[in-house]
Amino acid sequence: MIYEKETRYVIPFGDIPSPRAEMPEISVDERRENYTEVETGFPEKIAVQEARRCLSCRRCLGCALCWAECKPEAIDFDIPDEELELEFDDVIITNGQDNAFYPFNPQLGYGKYPDVITDLQFERMLSPTGPFNGMVVSPLDGEIPGRIAVVQGDTGDDEEHLLSSLILGVNQSVIALDKIKDLEMVLISPLCESFQEKFFAEAEKIPGLQIIEGSPESVEKERDTKEPLLLKYSADGENKQKAFDLIVILTKPKISPELESLSNLFWTEFGMHVF
Amino acid sequence: MCTGRIDPAMVARAFQKRLDGLMVVGCYFGDCHYISGNVQAKAKIDTTRKLFKHIGVNEERLAFRQCSSGEASVFVKLVTEFDEKIRSLGPLGGDGDRVKAPEIFGKLEAAEAVLAGEKIRWVMGKRTPFLETGNIYGEIFTEHEFNRAMDMIIVEEIEVQEILAKLKEGARSVKDLAGDLAIPSERVFRYITALKRKGMVALDNVADRSPIFQLVPQEV
Amino acid sequence: MDDKTVLIVGGGLDGVRTALEQVETGAQVTIVEKFPTLGAERIPRDRLIRPEQAFINPDLEKVRDHNNIRILTYSDIKKINRDNGKLRVRILKHSLRVDNSKCNDCKACIQVCPVNMFDDFDEGLGFRTAVDFCNLATGGYNIYKEDMPVCQETCPVNLDIRAYVGLIADGKHLESLAKIRERLPLPGSIGRICPHPCETACNRQYLDEPISICFLKRFVSDVELSQEIEPVYETPEHKYPEKIAIVGAGPAGLTCAHDLARLGYEHIKIFESLPVPGGYLWVGIPEYRLPKKLLQREVDLICNMGVEIQYNTRIGKDVAFENLTNDYDALFIGIGCHMGLKLRVPGEDDYEGIVDCVTFLREQALGNLPKAKGKLIVIGGGNAAIDSARVGWRMGFDKVYILYRRTKKEMPANSWEIDAAEHEGVILQYLAAPVEILGENGKVTGMKCIKMELGEPDDSGRRRPVPIEGSEYIIDAETIVPAISQGTDLRFLDEGHDFDLSRWNTFLIDEETGATNIPGVFAGGDVVTGPDIAIRAIAGGKRAAVGIHEYLRSK
Repeated sequence: MIYEKETRYVIPFGDIPSPRAEMPEISVDERRENYTEVETGFPEKIAVQEARRCLSCRRCLGCALCWAECKPEAIDFDIPDEELELEFDDVIITNGQDNAFYPFNPQLGYGKYPDVITDLQFERMLSPTGPFNGMVVSPLDGEIPGRIAVVQGDTGDDEEHLLSSLILGVNQSVIALDKIKDLEMVLISPLCESFQEKFFAEAEKIPGLQIIEGSPESVEKERDTKEPLLLKYSADGENKQKAFDLIVILTKPKISPELESLSNLFWTEFGMHVF
Repeated sequence: MCTGRIDPAMVARAFQKRLDGLMVVGCYFGDCHYISGNVQAKAKIDTTRKLFKHIGVNEERLAFRQCSSGEASVFVKLVTEFDEKIRSLGPLGGDGDRVKAPEIFGKLEAAEAVLAGEKIRWVMGKRTPFLETGNIYGEIFTEHEFNRAMDMIIVEEIEVQEILAKLKEGARSVKDLAGDLAIPSERVFRYITALKRKGMVALDNVADRSPIFQLVPQEV
Repeated sequence: MDDKTVLIVGGGLDGVRTALEQVETGAQVTIVEKFPTLGAERIPRDRLIRPEQAFINPDLEKVRDHNNIRILTYSDIKKINRDNGKLRVRILKHSLRVDNSKCNDCKACIQVCPVNMFDDFDEGLGFRTAVDFCNLATGGYNIYKEDMPVCQETCPVNLDIRAYVGLIADGKHLESLAKIRERLPLPGSIGRICPHPCETACNRQYLDEPISICFLKRFVSDVELSQEIEPVYETPEHKYPEKIAIVGAGPAGLTCAHDLARLGYEHIKIFESLPVPGGYLWVGIPEYRLPKKLLQREVDLICNMGVEIQYNTRIGKDVAFENLTNDYDALFIGIGCHMGLKLRVPGEDDYEGIVDCVTFLREQALGNLPKAKGKLIVIGGGNAAIDSARVGWRMGFDKVYILYRRTKKEMPANSWEIDAAEHEGVILQYLAAPVEILGENGKVTGMKCIKMELGEPDDSGRRRPVPIEGSEYIIDAETIVPAISQGTDLRFLDEGHDFDLSRWNTFLIDEETGATNIPGVFAGGDVVTGPDIAIRAIAGGKRAAVGIHEYLRSK
């Protein structure tokens, strides 16, 4: 199974009744001193309506159209899965393409606004083999953003994580600044000591990058979705706000739940290698 | 000729030629000379109706009815009723429809492209096997599930076809496409990304901050 | 060490690097990667970069060509066992369904594929189609076909939810019920009481709210009842003569019996210590949530398949455990967790009027409790606590309190149950814990409590409650019901028994067959998992039924 992130892309259908059906119940007065069943069950009409809300999730429909179209006859539905049983002395888990992450401040609007993305998404976007061949565009409208903020998702994270995500944030900014002309690039994070000691002086010299020691509070949009994102943050003990076209959230990597459940039981060596 | 032979793409084209209503009258289920022609006809018309509803054409303009060749009075009744219905709806793209003329003809053009397209025809043709014997993996669908799958294809295909039709007129940015087609921009963006991935659309140039996309001519 | 073998999980940049490092030391390396291709380039996270050297590429060539590296792409790890210092790993390599040696990358398939889905490789920034290349750079066409939709996968018994909900939408209610019964013998009961993990996973929640999967199950079962239809079961193809004993007529035991009966076993006997069937479903779930009549009917349907239930028979007292192992070819233990745990506060054993929740609910269900008088305090935050309080409220206690040491947010009970209790007038006191039971003349008169505050998170991730010094207070009450947790009651086993047990006094079993370490003895349900939800007990019963069948047929 391929691990999936929580915010899925679902297109709403016009003819589906939207709100979830509520279970009818007998009143509180009817319940005292007896054990009559409280919930009375769905009437048929409600039940059918509720069932019709089902999205019938299925990926491959098994329609075989691809097979019909494939000239070199490369598609073969009968190739079976293979099950292997192997022995090892050691197992090492790496922070690979699983790309799961710990939850972060939900006020930052990830999943709510298409133009708020994670650092992992931004990394794919910046990559020459990514979905846009390395072009930085806003998933809201496909425009090249003029103002980008990279912000720490959870400011309470540990020093080690803050350090690596700060470096990633700066590096992503460097690439974005190289790609976009006249880009206003801001990084907001509670700067950790080790970063300030080792890298801050160098990072501060990057032309076009503004580093703010602060903590991002929330992201809002005024009126309709076409407006820029309004980032609220605190810095120097003050509450501030600033408009952006694209907001990138620095996340904390995590082992996927399935691997984690195995790892709790068996790993001899548990390596989360962060390069 | 059998109602099963009616091509939904032809239906969409007929409406582009200012047709106000179309009733398909087939045999009763079980009476089909070709076993399941009328079942297929109904499935095709149902899908087309759904598509019409989605693009803003009143789906009542298209009907599937049944009657046998010996039932003159039933036929007269069906025709009279349908005639009244269409009269009450008025001309195509008027008060009876969500989308008005002339935009409605552009929508119908995209609908024809969807209905002539392989995707929807193939899956529509799979209806009976999916419900009765199963898909290539042997999984049997409920009617609801099949309809859901079909809905999804209709929604996505019509939007993609509208985008392709617009791009045929000239290269455009995602923002402009969204504005022209009244489709949410984040959706247009995803379609463009997908079309690019499929090699059907490519980046033309970048004007200021707007990447402009163009069609990639396809080999036939 | 020349022949050290190493498994590397994850074929990303890190995985590839680690593989090359390991292979340098002379190890034999296997890489397991979820995606159909090995890693993509990454941005460094340990040093600042310049734009021209932005990405680091994994050294794919070197890994691919290396003789001592085996690459398993599109693969998942299913299980890991420790075996004589080695780790035995089961890996499922998914079929790509595309022969990439024939593929000419013409993209015809992805242009026609009608399915747009979440593009994992690009973190959901675009779509992928069901048939697709994975990585623009490395290719790797594959068809993504999941085994089950997410709801079915989450369900402990893997109910075909998509199909049964779809059948309801089509108006085919009885067909839907038959579909449910293929995997679940108690649809009416489970359709009422299941905390439905499937709904928590439902994809519809990302659009608005999840589908009401559980109650739809109840709906179809109600349809059958109201139309007075008797379900028809197919007669099993084979008949088997072996005798099977099942201890406990709870959800696990009943399901195990049901599944074995449907497989063709004709001599199945359930031993039940209570005078009623259903186990916790009868004596733990109150009538207002699950009417006994309905439960009785569902049990009767199972009995009609030729399953015998012997009531009022406690193993170790009425029948010796050895008799079961001697007289029967296979034995399933599904006795649940019917022992309420103690509060461990002073005064607990000194007064009349303190009764644990399991006993409280059981005696009420069996009609043995006298009419309620005065006030009732229930201590705990689980569903058993809520059930006890709501039952107490119905019994006629003047005031019913629930005391819980954390806040509503941390409460393990289902949120809708908590709401219902509040709605009925149960008084919930959060951040409070018992200190001492107070009494006079041998009877409970009240309880001394202390207020709590939340401190640092503990191992379970919930914040640990800490008492606030000097905040003690007293609640008057005539009855106190601790609903802390439940344990197993394994007193029927001899002192010198050979069963492998966990430190929670539950049976340790083989995860695939439900077999205990004693041949022919299987276990499932709460006696294996500890107190858990009914549907997982049912899954335990199902697993053991398959295990018993395999065991008996291979004998």
